[in-house]
Amino acid sequence: MKAQNLFLILLFSTSLFSEYKFETILSDLDDAWSLEFLSEDKIIYTEMPGKLKIADFSNGSTVEIKNVPKVQYSSQGGLSEVVLDPDFSSNRTLYLSYSAKNADGKSTLYLMSAKLNEDSLESNKVIFEAKAPRRVPVHIGAKIAFLDDGTILLASGDGFDHREKAQTLDNHFGKIIRINKDGTVPKDNPFVNVKNALPDIYSYGHRNMQGLIVTKNGQIYEHEHGPQGGDEMNLIEPSINYGWPAITYGIDYSGAVISPFTEKDGMQQPLLHWTPSIAPSDMIFYEGDKYPELNNSFLVTALVSKDVKKVTFSENGKDIQESLFGSLNSRLRNIQASPNGLIYLLTDGPRGKLIKVLPEEL
Amino acid sequence: MKIAKYPFAVLSAALFTVMLITPISSLSNLIWLASVDMPVGLFSSLEVILFDFQRLGIVLLGVVSIGFTVAFVVAGLISRYSSLGGKYLYAVAGSAAIGVSLILMVELLFQTQLLGGNRTLIGTILHWGAGFFGGYFFYKLISEEKNYTFIVRFLGVFYAYFILGLVLNWVFTPVSAAAEFGFTLYELNSAAQNALLRDFTSFFVATFLFSILGVITLNPVWFFSAGIIYIGAGIFNLVAIYAHGTDFNQIFVGEFVLGSWPIALGLVINHQQKKLKE
Repeated sequence: MKAQNLFLILLFSTSLFSEYKFETILSDLDDAWSLEFLSEDKIIYTEMPGKLKIADFSNGSTVEIKNVPKVQYSSQGGLSEVVLDPDFSSNRTLYLSYSAKNADGKSTLYLMSAKLNEDSLESNKVIFEAKAPRRVPVHIGAKIAFLDDGTILLASGDGFDHREKAQTLDNHFGKIIRINKDGTVPKDNPFVNVKNALPDIYSYGHRNMQGLIVTKNGQIYEHEHGPQGGDEMNLIEPSINYGWPAITYGIDYSGAVISPFTEKDGMQQPLLHWTPSIAPSDMIFYEGDKYPELNNSFLVTALVSKDVKKVTFSENGKDIQESLFGSLNSRLRNIQASPNGLIYLLTDGPRGKLIKVLPEEL
Repeated sequence: MKIAKYPFAVLSAALFTVMLITPISSLSNLIWLASVDMPVGLFSSLEVILFDFQRLGIVLLGVVSIGFTVAFVVAGLISRYSSLGGKYLYAVAGSAAIGVSLILMVELLFQTQLLGGNRTLIGTILHWGAGFFGGYFFYKLISEEKNYTFIVRFLGVFYAYFILGLVLNWVFTPVSAAAEFGFTLYELNSAAQNALLRDFTSFFVATFLFSILGVITLNPVWFFSAGIIYIGAGIFNLVAIYAHGTDFNQIFVGEFVLGSWPIALGLVINHQQKKLKE
């Protein structure tokens, strides 16, 4: 435990123009990437170098979990997402996504299940290895979500150098994967009976997905980084081609045209696109009662615009956006709502913070 | 002029090489798009090639210029202190410069292959080949005596190259072009959109053509014409701010630069032509 990693109530970093107040709960986090609430006062979170930790706000303790898989911490890779099984309270199972080297020495995306026993993982089992080998771990994706039927969705990014492979079904570049908890393939996956297609693919034509959620009504929403411009938010449905890189609203980092096309029959348009890019990094659909003005809104954290976009849609499908928490002036990596509905934000980078957004009555 | 010959030869060779390199990425991209049944046609191909030439090209121009500077200095030293020399030494140096630059761009900067056209073996070979011809072009430039027209033409082409980006933006993506000028095209009414599109496009196309005609004919009138338009834009920008109360718009600085550049070229031509007559 590092004492400096955890302290309570210290900073009320309120700007003159902000409606919200913030409380820094944890600081000096080393490239923290995701978190889950074990209870109202206890979280489990990942740090990209390969650390999985539990922080207890009630007593200020932080415990590092043992027996975490060895990861490839390089470029954009490392230990990424931690997600609790929907039946975690009874089976103590959690899931970790991470980048590591495969048998050929190439970097790829893995999904592992394990049981949490006090301060150690047990019964570790790799349930998915992406057929998406790349030289360096970039554009990993790595977001995890559970469908109501208990199957797992996993975002597998396009690997940057392999973007064209997002359009073919014989690999996991630029795909959303759907598997069972034991790693087997659900029989009703859309490409199970398609020749030369990998049966675990659920949708394709994606780039670098950083937000993946399933709402209470079962709808799947995803967002992904575009290149320069063309960040997208999509409603995900099975078998659908989301177009990258054949259609896009962005251009390459080099200035080159990726595609002169923004639409084509058979390729799904995004619900919205951000041009110029905001670099969306995570997303929740807020349904709590602590911030009435945010209820039933998508809240999207962003690295470049350093804020949270509140996104709703009008009846005709047009997006309505509002920028929140910009006074933090921080690259925001992750957003979660606690069991009681309080919003927490993770800031990005080697000296990251966990920040609680205080509702007005606090 | 003799000292200036080498930097200008490096920049000219770099520009020539960029003209060879950028279509490799454009064409490899277009071939892939066609292979997945995208409706690639003449218009879309032209859009990709010209945009890449301008946007990707300006990035590559910097990279290639640095690579060529180092390679040609080394080649020059080898040529001076050994029996090796001639056009093939510079050609090989150019090829090596491109190869090393492409590797360093991946290993030191981005960790990924930023150039789409360099993701295949044939693409890599074509890039090395472009560097070979670039080096050969450099040798031809430094081994033959050049007069003032070489520098004027180079600076004129470079000017036209810059204006080409504005032309392409207004012709193909006017919404994005308008955004770069600080306003949203669709917030204007239809008549205003129409007036803006035709006038701005004509403005940039005209100055692009004037500068190209100046390069070809070396008639200073073409350069003066382009310069007068931009100087006028700068002056009336200030009039709009101070006489008509519009918001301050610092773009007038760029307008004066874009106006002064061709006027300076026109004055050089005038001066040199007078000297020749005497």
